[in-house]
Amino acid sequence: MIPDDLYPLGNLSCEFLGMQLENPFILAASPCTDDLDMVRRAFASGWAGAVLKTTSVEGNPVNLAYPMMTSLTHEGKLLFGMGNIDLISVHHIDRVEQTIRTLKKEFPGKMVAASIMAGRMEDWQQLVERLERAGADLIECSFSCPQGNIGEDPGKMLAQSVRATETTARWVKEASRRVPVAIKITPHVTDIVEVAQAVKRSGCDALTASNSLQALMGVDLRTFVPSPRLDGKSTYSGLTGPAIKPITLRTIAEIARHVEIPILGTGGASTWSDAVEFMAVGAGVVQFCTAVMHHGFGIIDDLRSGMAHYLHDMGFSTPVQIVGKALPHIVSHDDLPRLTVRSHIEESACIQCEVCYLACRDGGHMAIDRTPGRVPRVNPDRCVGCGLCEQVCPEGCISMKAVV
Amino acid sequence: MKPPLTDRQARAEAERCLRCFDAPCTSSCPAHIDIPGFIAMVGSGNLIGAAEVVKSSNALANVCGKICPEEVFCQAVCTRGKQDTPIAIRELHFHATQQEVKRGYSRPRPFTRNGPPVAVIGGGPAGLACAFELAKIGYRIDLYDRAVPGGVPRNSIPAYRLSEEEVRADIDFLSGFVEFRQGDVDRERFAEIEKNHDALYVAVGLALDKALPIPGVEISGVLPVLAFLESARLTPLGAAPGRRVVVVGGGNVSLDAAATAKRLGCQEVVLVYRRGEKEMRVWNSELEEARNQGVQIQFFVNPVEIIGPDRVRGIRCRRTRLSDRQDATGRAIPVEIEGSEFILEADAVIPAIGQVPGADFLDLFERTAQGYLKVDASFSTSRRGVFAGGDLVGGEGTIVQSVGHGKNAALSIHRYLSEGAGA
Repeated sequence: MIPDDLYPLGNLSCEFLGMQLENPFILAASPCTDDLDMVRRAFASGWAGAVLKTTSVEGNPVNLAYPMMTSLTHEGKLLFGMGNIDLISVHHIDRVEQTIRTLKKEFPGKMVAASIMAGRMEDWQQLVERLERAGADLIECSFSCPQGNIGEDPGKMLAQSVRATETTARWVKEASRRVPVAIKITPHVTDIVEVAQAVKRSGCDALTASNSLQALMGVDLRTFVPSPRLDGKSTYSGLTGPAIKPITLRTIAEIARHVEIPILGTGGASTWSDAVEFMAVGAGVVQFCTAVMHHGFGIIDDLRSGMAHYLHDMGFSTPVQIVGKALPHIVSHDDLPRLTVRSHIEESACIQCEVCYLACRDGGHMAIDRTPGRVPRVNPDRCVGCGLCEQVCPEGCISMKAVV
Repeated sequence: MKPPLTDRQARAEAERCLRCFDAPCTSSCPAHIDIPGFIAMVGSGNLIGAAEVVKSSNALANVCGKICPEEVFCQAVCTRGKQDTPIAIRELHFHATQQEVKRGYSRPRPFTRNGPPVAVIGGGPAGLACAFELAKIGYRIDLYDRAVPGGVPRNSIPAYRLSEEEVRADIDFLSGFVEFRQGDVDRERFAEIEKNHDALYVAVGLALDKALPIPGVEISGVLPVLAFLESARLTPLGAAPGRRVVVVGGGNVSLDAAATAKRLGCQEVVLVYRRGEKEMRVWNSELEEARNQGVQIQFFVNPVEIIGPDRVRGIRCRRTRLSDRQDATGRAIPVEIEGSEFILEADAVIPAIGQVPGADFLDLFERTAQGYLKVDASFSTSRRGVFAGGDLVGGEGTIVQSVGHGKNAALSIHRYLSEGAGA
């Protein structure tokens, strides 16, 4: 529990799409948000909002396959990446509407968002109308579920077609009276900016960027069946978790640099510092899923506490002030300054592993020499300043220094 | 002693935490610190939050971070230990609280202190923890202590284990919420305090050394252990009590005394204990420290007479073996072996066989057979509105156990006062 009783929590409130939120931390559409009691518990523990698990029109059976979860383990950390072959909610839309009504009554200050997925225009529009009537604060349209997409071109995501995105986005926006509509897109496109521009043209209010990545989670070396294994068969999963964070950061940044539209950042954020990064590249709020599925709703304690202390430390009065802070620093490769830098090894801190020597010898420019005492020495005539040695140094005692 | 963790080591260690649900570490911590919670914060780089979590549960956060016997509580039950090695919980705790000391304290929310007045007698861990919990609820707290608050951590734990600065870090923080009132509390003062407060918490600890029941204890050179440790803390570079010192006892205090004597420059320090190493009630770290200092430990040795007459010249001992009979603590009773008598030469003898309560107003209370204050499950004493805890009710325990006592008693006192019983 966050020590509310002893220490006051700093101000984390922020405005997003006209809503006043107590903090920028939202639960993504996922198993975490598929049950009223779970969302209740999440709200009580401090989450500012939740996107309920994706729902669709009646009559479309949701044919789930189990088991559905796979872990990509990295250096002992479980769920460094999580794979899932889950589909949308199995709950009838009547129940989703009831959940929204109950949550809005019990937690009027929280953002209760609905996530929808459909194929035909009338289905999309009916979903928007029904969920708006139920009281949803935001409707997120999944144009990008990597598994089991429903639509005219199964297997292809809606958001992979610029034209289909714009057409469908117009349908949903038309159907809404006042409720803001966000389109959840996929990073699996040639040009994310074109898709974002299509959403912008449609008049929709926001983008959710982005979604899980299609992945094959691994292959068993004895049976050759990939994970997850369902009686000798497998399929591609949606990959989430820390493993995809850099991809999401790039997706959000690319959209924010070129299209003026509010962004709900999602895909790979686990901690408050990830959230800061998501916001720095343009997200107005940040959605979480995998970290909650692993460590529970209680991670909100550190999210709030860590973000509040960070803001105070940096002299910001609200999280909104972080939004877009990194964008002016991102330029195209052509526009990067051309520096002359050389590797510098802080010899007193070196632990003599010679990992940098090896990396530079076989992956760099053979610019690090060995010495009798095992403290490597940079050869300034060969070093080009690529920075590989700095990245592989386990002790952090190598840096790139400008040549004067 | 191990150097403190670096930032990088702390984060790597925090990453190892499994973040168990209903975590055994938290359940086994007498202060009930949300251990997986603060460790997650260390892991995310939120050290301020981590320190806040620790301090919210433990008023003596710095002290416990430094010297809590990890092998007894949280780390002994750490789930990660079933896989490989337990998380270094105490070191992570210390990392978080030390950073806070360096940076300056997080500012707690303002407390409204308009509740009824409550007195806490005794400024040790139990008293401080109880006072702080009650202050948070809104009670006005007067805390009485014969000296500067701090109790055992300040007075008798050797400075090499816990520095004055480390104790002061906690006391300074608490001084903002509690009125410290210095001076001895005798029967008269106690009556006055009882009159002026709606409830009392008594946690004066164990102030008197148990006397060694053998001839010669009055001879010059027999040093009371509490006074010896206290003066060693005040003057860590003081004079050695002698060239050869014999310490008698088998608890943590005897190990502290023996290691301290060695540090003060005594050439030969022998600790005699009438049972074996298995029967010692000590923390591994303390035993290790005493041995590292060069203290010789002689097990199964019982002192029978201190040899004088004008000053200590030695101590006559007999060897023992464990009998089949057990004492009240469930340990086998040692019996002397006939004809095994021998003399250990010594210039000073430090008996450290335990402490007992020692304040005259304690006669007003019902006591247990061992002389401790009698309390019920809610830490209520035989006097209405007076609660007690810490070593005074249970004998020598750990600091964190006393913190736990203080916190629990605070809840009882709050319940007692809010049910109108205090009116």
